[in-house]
Amino acid sequence: MTGATALAGAVRDSLATLKDVGGVVGSFVCTPNGRLVSREIPAMFDDGTLAEAGSRFVRLREAFAAGGDEVEVAVARFEEHRIYMKVVGDSLLIILIQGAVNMPALRMAANLVGRRIGPAVAQAESEPPPVDAPTESAPPVRPRRFAEAPPGMRRFRGRPVD
Amino acid sequence: MAVQAKDDDVDDEERTAPGLQPGRSVGFRASLAGVGLWDLVQMECLAGSHTCVRVSGEGGVGYLYFSRGSIVHAVTVDKVGESAALAILSWTNGSFQPCDRPWPEAATIATSHEALILQAAKRRDESSNLVAFPGRGAGEPTAASDVEMLEIEEEGAADMRTPDEREVTPAPPAARTDAGGDFSVMLRLSPRGEILKNIGASEQLAETAAYVRRLTELAGELLGIGGFAAFECTFAEGRLITFIESNGDAVVLRPRPEANLQALRERLGL
Repeated sequence: MTGATALAGAVRDSLATLKDVGGVVGSFVCTPNGRLVSREIPAMFDDGTLAEAGSRFVRLREAFAAGGDEVEVAVARFEEHRIYMKVVGDSLLIILIQGAVNMPALRMAANLVGRRIGPAVAQAESEPPPVDAPTESAPPVRPRRFAEAPPGMRRFRGRPVD
Repeated sequence: MAVQAKDDDVDDEERTAPGLQPGRSVGFRASLAGVGLWDLVQMECLAGSHTCVRVSGEGGVGYLYFSRGSIVHAVTVDKVGESAALAILSWTNGSFQPCDRPWPEAATIATSHEALILQAAKRRDESSNLVAFPGRGAGEPTAASDVEMLEIEEEGAADMRTPDEREVTPAPPAARTDAGGDFSVMLRLSPRGEILKNIGASEQLAETAAYVRRLTELAGELLGIGGFAAFECTFAEGRLITFIESNGDAVVLRPRPEANLQALRERLGL
């Protein structure tokens, strides 16, 4: 087991506790450079998709920071889902929620998890990206046919769309 | 809100008697049911009346003094001035009738009647968690966009209507410095990021909001979780709420620190 893999495993154990809050589908942690540190979310979301979604939220945070607003927590609502995002160190803890959720309980759980994974996340941030090192629990990484999207291209689940 | 507007000083026989009654001024007398008190107040102000009106409602009896398009004085059993006017405007049922009362030596209310009504609406909402807007009756709004805009209008930004209800003219950034009410900033952006209305926002905030909307939509598409509807961000100092209306416009609000956002959050599903 590599250091990075052990780190991801330790973070994953903490992420799993978020599922004690009803409605939580799963969660993942993304560094400022868009790297996936760890995940505890159903396999239907592959690593590439999570990393891409995470990098959007990283940019969202940067966009606010450029205007002097330092994001601490954000909640985005979609049709049946919500995304709860919490800044941990320089990284983001991103939680996917489906349907109703006890938001105060989720806030508290996220705070505790954030505090617990903080040191591991800080360590991951300081390490260079692992070479060929998928996170511990991730499903086999599919070869990504479209690694780089031209500027302005819309993508869905890793594929460009019109 | 249902208020009976009538002149109780005149009995039924007098109402139907031909000719001008001694001491009575020329004009129509009205008996209206189901009219909102706020509407009646606005009518008096619009008419520029110099009159005293007796309002009896669930909170007792109060008197509103109108002069030159404003409420200049108000009194209830235990209140005088603006607090009395607000108390009276909070009543939802009763009657509204002209009366002869001694006129005060000096005006006790300087606030405009619009501001008083808005304040009364806000208090009512805070106490009931329901949104009501003067002149709209007591019915609950049905469309989501109505709910959203009522929420904003209640805070004093009647000009934040949706484009099909008002002329759309791109406003200059920070055209007004303060949105009033619970929000220091209100911004409306078209789906293409054009500024449709702006109260208190910098151009940079408009750009950030447009970009954040796009990023959030993309993240939602990537995860396959449907359309982006609303967003709340908590900063080290302050908060920001964005929601998408049914016409695709994004409304961006920066609440004041003391603002209670629970009702808005629930409505937006945040």
